[in-house]
Amino acid sequence: MRGALSLRPTYYEALRRLTLQLAGVQMGSDHAFLVETRLSSLARKEGFDTLDSMVQELFSVGKSRLAIQVVSALVERDTHFNRDPLSFDTLFNIALPDLIEKRGGGRIDLLSYGCGSGQDIYSIAIRARYAAVRAMMGPVALHMTGVDYPSQALERARTGRYTHFEVQRGLSARDLVANFTPDLAPGSTDWLTAAHLKENVTFQDMHLMAGSESMGEYHIVMFRGAIAHYSRTARVRVIRSLTKTLRPYGYLILGSGEDLQDSYSELEPVAGAPGLYRRLKHDPMTEPVGKQPNGQTSFEGAKTRRVGT
Amino acid sequence: MSRRCLIVDQSAMVRRVAARIIRELGFEVIEARTGQDALDTCAGLTPEAIMLDWKTPDMGGAEFIAKLRVMMQQNGTPMPTILFCTGERSVEQIVLALKAGADEYIMKPFDSDIIGSKFALAGLLDGENLACAVL
Repeated sequence: MRGALSLRPTYYEALRRLTLQLAGVQMGSDHAFLVETRLSSLARKEGFDTLDSMVQELFSVGKSRLAIQVVSALVERDTHFNRDPLSFDTLFNIALPDLIEKRGGGRIDLLSYGCGSGQDIYSIAIRARYAAVRAMMGPVALHMTGVDYPSQALERARTGRYTHFEVQRGLSARDLVANFTPDLAPGSTDWLTAAHLKENVTFQDMHLMAGSESMGEYHIVMFRGAIAHYSRTARVRVIRSLTKTLRPYGYLILGSGEDLQDSYSELEPVAGAPGLYRRLKHDPMTEPVGKQPNGQTSFEGAKTRRVGT
Repeated sequence: MSRRCLIVDQSAMVRRVAARIIRELGFEVIEARTGQDALDTCAGLTPEAIMLDWKTPDMGGAEFIAKLRVMMQQNGTPMPTILFCTGERSVEQIVLALKAGADEYIMKPFDSDIIGSKFALAGLLDGENLACAVL
């Protein structure tokens, strides 16, 4: 008997493996509904008659473009404005004041890793315009970069277009009218992000499982609401790449209820601030401490190798 | 004593849908069809929150707030939290409502996430309801 899922169970298993391999994300068995709804709309858009036929082509032909689109659709998370406001408090009350004091001027670069449809970045941009925050920032300019897999969501982040429902979730009426305008196109009920919110904001595609080399250097990296979905291997890899993009004494901000789960020699948790880590200024050694064997089985072997060189 | 929210809307269906959502947020719900009905209700027992359509059959939102303010001052009662819930979606209309003294503004159509989020933004939720709200 078939359940709610019209996709063949073997395909579902194959999609779970593909998502784990490409994105490092573990889909639970409860993701069946998500797979169905998200992939059905992708299948329609790509011109397939059924979801099964799209998945069949994916696994028989194995085109990487389709694989990336499928995985991006599967790992895309729902978000809204001012999600997890406690971690924004951490940003504005701890990380930014410290960096502003240390730098005194110039710019502060912030990376939103896994920015989805962009609400996190625009929420920060809205709060950065509050009078009290402007006074604190002084001459310092905040530049923000959002990265995510190429997806519909990332496109929407770039255009800054949000639905009637999205602009009413997490966003106050005051912030809405100060920072958005209704789309006047006939039949549209969308709202458009005002130009001033897009100043110093860029969105970039990130290739699945790509390294951090192309991401740049940042004073603050925000990686919120995602760490729990990663397998351990993928989690360690992501945290290492993010650490590499952080400048010394820069901050990594996770969700307010999240932690790294492993210790990293270059990252120290900031006391009293859940989810906040500071990058130390050591040598670039980002292995989780005591978790990664170095291949040596004894001191004898180490000595021998040293003698040999 | 349970917390009370007054819903003011000409449409019985809007009142019914909104009432179900607002009860879930921990409020006792009372309903009114017109601005005057709502004012009469407030004269008896002032609710903590009022969610009302900008255009009730007998008066506009600004007039309602002005009359309510006078009444509250006479009684020495604090103003309830006011959320407008209306189909009008222009920036001018929202600014007008905020200037008149609204705490939040909901554009129809709404769903439970929107109402929960706006109640949270207006400072009406606490504890588990606040934790569950989209904020």
